[in-house]
Amino acid sequence: MLSVKGLRANVGDKEILKGLDLEVGPGEVHAIMGPNGSGKSTLSHVLSGRDGYSVTAGSATFEGRDLLELEPEERAQLGLFLAFQYPVELPGVNNTYFLKAALNSIRKARGESELDAVSFLRLIKEKLKILHLDDSLLKRAVNAGFSGGEKKRNEIFQMALLEPKLAILDETDSGLDIDALRVVAEGVNALRSPERSMIVVTHYQRLLDYIQPDYVHVLARGRIIRSGGKELALELEEKGYGWIDAELAA
Amino acid sequence: MNAPLHSGLEHWLSAPDDSPAPDWLLEHRRAARARLSAQPLPHSKQEAWRYTNLKGLLEQDFTAIEEPLSALQPEDLDTVLIPGFDAHRVVLVNGRFAPELSTLGELPAGARIGGLRDWLDHDPESLRGRLDAARGESGAFFALLNTAGLDDGLVVWLARGVMLDRPLELIHLSVGLDEPRVAQPRHLVHLEAGAQATLVERYVSLGESLYCTNAVMEVVLERDAVLKHERLQMESRNAFHLTGFYLVQDENSRYAGVNIGLGARWARTDLNTRFRGEQAECVLHGLYLAGDGQLLDYHLDVEHAVPNCRSEENFKGLLTGQGRAVFDGRVLVSKDAQKSDAAMSNRNLMLSEQAEIDTKPQLEIYADDVKCSHGTTVGQIEPEMLFYLRSRGIDAAQSRRMLCLGFAGEIIDRLSDEAVREHVAETVGQRLA
Repeated sequence: MLSVKGLRANVGDKEILKGLDLEVGPGEVHAIMGPNGSGKSTLSHVLSGRDGYSVTAGSATFEGRDLLELEPEERAQLGLFLAFQYPVELPGVNNTYFLKAALNSIRKARGESELDAVSFLRLIKEKLKILHLDDSLLKRAVNAGFSGGEKKRNEIFQMALLEPKLAILDETDSGLDIDALRVVAEGVNALRSPERSMIVVTHYQRLLDYIQPDYVHVLARGRIIRSGGKELALELEEKGYGWIDAELAA
Repeated sequence: MNAPLHSGLEHWLSAPDDSPAPDWLLEHRRAARARLSAQPLPHSKQEAWRYTNLKGLLEQDFTAIEEPLSALQPEDLDTVLIPGFDAHRVVLVNGRFAPELSTLGELPAGARIGGLRDWLDHDPESLRGRLDAARGESGAFFALLNTAGLDDGLVVWLARGVMLDRPLELIHLSVGLDEPRVAQPRHLVHLEAGAQATLVERYVSLGESLYCTNAVMEVVLERDAVLKHERLQMESRNAFHLTGFYLVQDENSRYAGVNIGLGARWARTDLNTRFRGEQAECVLHGLYLAGDGQLLDYHLDVEHAVPNCRSEENFKGLLTGQGRAVFDGRVLVSKDAQKSDAAMSNRNLMLSEQAEIDTKPQLEIYADDVKCSHGTTVGQIEPEMLFYLRSRGIDAAQSRRMLCLGFAGEIIDRLSDEAVREHVAETVGQRLA
């Protein structure tokens, strides 16, 4: 489904990703863990097509397409979804209008017809329930004035609505208290399926108590330096990230 | 003997016709004309005309419209009506009241709405001393010019406590003629104590012809009166447009204005407001969208002459292509106007490198116990916002449009009728496509 090979990327003159390899198969959940500054967010951004990064080497293929050639909206239409670490407030942009535009763009790309108003609303309400969100959200502007928890739940709500093939959760746990974390994790778990893959990017092991990954990778200094099963996360929790420096120095 | 007019404006005033006019009006026109010829043409060394050049306007050599246009049928209006907007409708064609196109319907007792010409025929005395707005310096030149040619327009007079059940829609329809023509409609809106109305004033055209509108509206709100006033300037993209708006407010009156500026190649709007009684409130909202070949120029002159009044001025601009706009807002708080509350804001979204905005909000405060603020921003679409929308599958062009409409929505939402809101949002959306 996703195949990243030898990916190198810069911000300005500074190389952040230094030859990253990652293979994600259908239905798999991969956790990417690493200390601050290891390149976690850069990886999320490069895969989803954000401006400001230049890829200098390597490749990223998604569903057989060269991901790096595509515009951000084309990646989304192909089934890629990024849950933002910092969801952006869009004052004046009505949530319902936004969700409809997004869903219809993606349906159109899949060759499906636009949803009529009644089916759209029914679908929205069903998905809101999964995230314990109130439908007053629909009348508000996108993320405007939302609390941190609401913003993160809104991300997962959008994911539920858009039904991506691959979701990248970029530090979705940051800034959440334990209750909000549980709601978000339940939402994510409800969306797990044999066809849907996920990349869970996180600094802490805490989120992985709720979202059990199939694979854990340690990202440091722009490369994946270790991969393993979910027990690797526990090991990281125990030892912290201090050992990485020692290992890389050796 | 009439005083000579400035070069480029010689034909703006029609030759005197036979229609009867009271002596005071003839004198009023003469006096305005005399004041005009004693003044220089507005020029760029005057603060009020610093950013806006008259050259393009003067070289058109506009000519006053002598005869009313009689060939229009009610169905000609269809293309300019807002679907689903239910209103008492008054139509002016090329500056002349067109009763055959107007559908006023039934009005409550105490509401008088009609053409200025008819009014002057039947009840001239009631207007004596009323049509005298051209005070102040800002933009007064063209208000004087309007007064010198004072002829037709709309009069709305609501007696004490009268409330209009539906909005009043005033359509200024311009129809292109063979030569470039100028129309100078003159309006008076007077709400006696406690009267209430919503006025939707629209400037539209059939076709994209070249013409000029130089409109003046005077509004008087007596105590406790409430007026919602929505101006939709959607003239032909080849037209020139001038508006002089003069508002006087008595105690505890409320004025809420929304100015939408989308049309014309060159438009100058002067909004002058003055509190005459305490506890009154004046809110001016505005949205302008200037694209290629357009200049939209706004001047606000808000005068807190008495204590305890509140004003709010909130204008937003979208600038695309080589569009230009000017926002020159001034709030004056006189020495005795303690406890004045004034907030002025002008925010602009630049959608191209070639667009240009000159913005100059000013507070002039002579009282010491007031709450006043002003702010201005000139920015671009935030890349993070654009990326957020695109990451959800929405293409770049639609994402930009959504963000612009989101920016404009704060003002559009102020329009009181849903059909009008939709009409404006749709027009803005089309302009951004």
